[in-house]
Amino acid sequence: MSVTEAAVAGMVSGAPSRPIRFIGADKDYWRILVRGAFLLMVTLGLYRFWLATDIRRFLWAHTAIDGEPLEYSGTAIELLQGFLVAIALLLPIYTVFLITVLDLGLIGNLLSGFAVLLLVFLSQYGIYLARRYRLTRTVFRGLRLHQTGSAIRYAVCAIWWWSLTIMTFGLAYPFNRAALERFKMRNTYYGDLQGRFEGSGWRLFARGFLLWLLVMAPVLAALSSFALVDWVAATGAMRGGGDVLGRMERASPGFVDAVGFGIIAIVASFILALLLLPVFHAIVTRWWVSGMRFGEIVAVSHLRTRDVYFAYLRFVGYVLLFALLLVVGIFVALFLIGLSAHTASSEIAEIISVLMMVGIYVVTALGLSTLYQAVVSLSVWRLAAESTELSNTERLAHVQAAGEASSPLGEGIADILNLGGI
Amino acid sequence: MTGTAPRSCPAVYYDGVTSARHHVTIALAAEAVIIRSADGAVVDEWSYPRMKHMSAPEHIFRIGLRGTSSLARLEVTDQDVAHQIDLACPDIDRTGANARAQRRQVIAWSFLAAISLLLVGAYGVPAIADRLAPIVPQGIERRLGAAADTQVRAMLDKGPEGRPFECGGASVEKAGEAAFEKLMDRLRTAAGIRIPLQAAVIRRDEANAIALPGGHIYVFRGLIDQARNVDEVAGVIAHELGHVAHRDGTRAILQTTGLSLIFGMLLGDFVGGGAVVIAAESLLKSAYSRDKEAAADDYAVKTMLSLGADARALGGFLARIAGTNGKGSIFLDHPATQDRVARINAMAPPQKGGATLLDAAEWAALKRICAGYR
Repeated sequence: MSVTEAAVAGMVSGAPSRPIRFIGADKDYWRILVRGAFLLMVTLGLYRFWLATDIRRFLWAHTAIDGEPLEYSGTAIELLQGFLVAIALLLPIYTVFLITVLDLGLIGNLLSGFAVLLLVFLSQYGIYLARRYRLTRTVFRGLRLHQTGSAIRYAVCAIWWWSLTIMTFGLAYPFNRAALERFKMRNTYYGDLQGRFEGSGWRLFARGFLLWLLVMAPVLAALSSFALVDWVAATGAMRGGGDVLGRMERASPGFVDAVGFGIIAIVASFILALLLLPVFHAIVTRWWVSGMRFGEIVAVSHLRTRDVYFAYLRFVGYVLLFALLLVVGIFVALFLIGLSAHTASSEIAEIISVLMMVGIYVVTALGLSTLYQAVVSLSVWRLAAESTELSNTERLAHVQAAGEASSPLGEGIADILNLGGI
Repeated sequence: MTGTAPRSCPAVYYDGVTSARHHVTIALAAEAVIIRSADGAVVDEWSYPRMKHMSAPEHIFRIGLRGTSSLARLEVTDQDVAHQIDLACPDIDRTGANARAQRRQVIAWSFLAAISLLLVGAYGVPAIADRLAPIVPQGIERRLGAAADTQVRAMLDKGPEGRPFECGGASVEKAGEAAFEKLMDRLRTAAGIRIPLQAAVIRRDEANAIALPGGHIYVFRGLIDQARNVDEVAGVIAHELGHVAHRDGTRAILQTTGLSLIFGMLLGDFVGGGAVVIAAESLLKSAYSRDKEAAADDYAVKTMLSLGADARALGGFLARIAGTNGKGSIFLDHPATQDRVARINAMAPPQKGGATLLDAAEWAALKRICAGYR
């Protein structure tokens, strides 16, 4: 096998090599995704367990480390089972909360705030358990990966870090990622080989600070321009019809300019964010891969930003093509609606037009997400895998089995709370 | 197995205990695959019925063992030998034909399940809500009403500071308030409603009236302004009394909860699924609501007839304030006005000089129930 030979050729003891290969064909992945998107629509989403399993099987089986492809041994039935168990557990909680909120008035309102917190907690809890499920269903060289650690502690940490990230407008994101990755990797094992994460939050901060500044500076400018407006006077002048803007301008001079500037600044920030997204994606992926350790095995990523940019550019190209097809499709649909309006009763025509509108929306949303997965996600997966340098890979041949298969409950919780990952 | 078929080949073997890669030779015996190390020693024997096919790239035939927690793996790249093993193992299905058949079944059943859930949404949820609403205790309904009341007031009361939201408090409004109470009293007695009512006229310009759970009824001032006689106002109030008697507020809450359980939890966790959920929920809710409105119209007609008042006044008033040109829509929460008028007229015979609910002085006072503030 050429894959194996290439890997063996790079295997000089202790020396860094690039032994990870992605051997999947794009068209096979496209087929899985497109068929999956269609079946999701037909089954109103029930097909998602099979689609998720297909995607993982494809990605795992075609990612070969040191000549040996990974194996995903999870099944769709397990995911379905995890979902059902999670429903059985969450439904009573929902019900109890609903009843308490109805029964207790003010205390009920406080409780509903608590319920939101509980949902946030459960979603992080589910994310950690779901990761454990995916790891224990990952088989490599006859051994599984596994994850220890308390999902409750993880959820508490994650909530703390995400609150901090939101409160600092994203400045704390590098430390958030570093802390949570440390937690996850410290509890990740390949057999008896313990993982850890050595990426530093400060390093990611240094790499990403300029991006943050470019995106946030216009937002800060917009906020400061809004701060100059006398909002009490301006909103007071909103009542009544006619020239609302004129009255608001008179009530708070400079109002129109401030709002106009603010809107332009926010649009600029949004455009900058879109343009810089591939850079951000590349920086974070490179930092994340380079922080991974398993025992003596050290990873270094040589992912190139411009390759990630090309992936996004191809995505934009596909989106334009898709938009063209969609416009043609919409014209055909409108033509059919026009026909049915003449022949059928008004109610049937209305039902048809609603169905078509919902259909167009769903096709658009599913189509965009499918294109993103097929182009950007797959490319970045492939690029990240093949640009990763590993040292001391001969250690991979001396690992002892450890760990048990875990339950798919976390996947179920994450699914119910709409957090489906890969 | 035919004699000419290849019966042995090199393979890669992982024992499931360590990650060491073993280059082995496998030989296909009658009952099992025999795994031999490079020096010819037998490492293991895997009988055909125990073997199962594991996920791998296309060029590798990866086999594991069923009924064990061991992750021992055998990887065969010789396609002819792989084919022989496939033939010998009853449970191995390398071409994926069984898996595809199984998956087709899953798809078909999921499709049917989706349709069945939609049907439950269309017929099951309203039926359950109809049966549950009457047995929801009064206390809970009052709390629901209080919560809804706070929200409605916050939404509707946009008047200047210090202006009371409800009409009837100022001294010029007292006579109107008395007339309103008298009207409410007659309607309630005729309808036979035992739930304590909290009815009021509020300072809003629209011609409208609303009923909340727990017996709250708000009549908008605009409605009284536009009414030509007391029977028109009474018809609308009787319609709202119908909502109270049918416990429609509670039913709506039960229906919404049921729908969001069905659609929010079980379905739609995919990109774009949210739109399907929202469209389905709003279509079904509008359909439920149109049924409730029609039932409340029937209730209003019966109440007005039992008072000997002009039951057709409601229809005429509706036609005047809403117009009869509006087409019905599957997204509207009320039936088309012309359908409502036709239905009311079909139930109520035309009436000449019926009973007067309020005398002329009381009606004039009611017209001025909000005169204290503008």
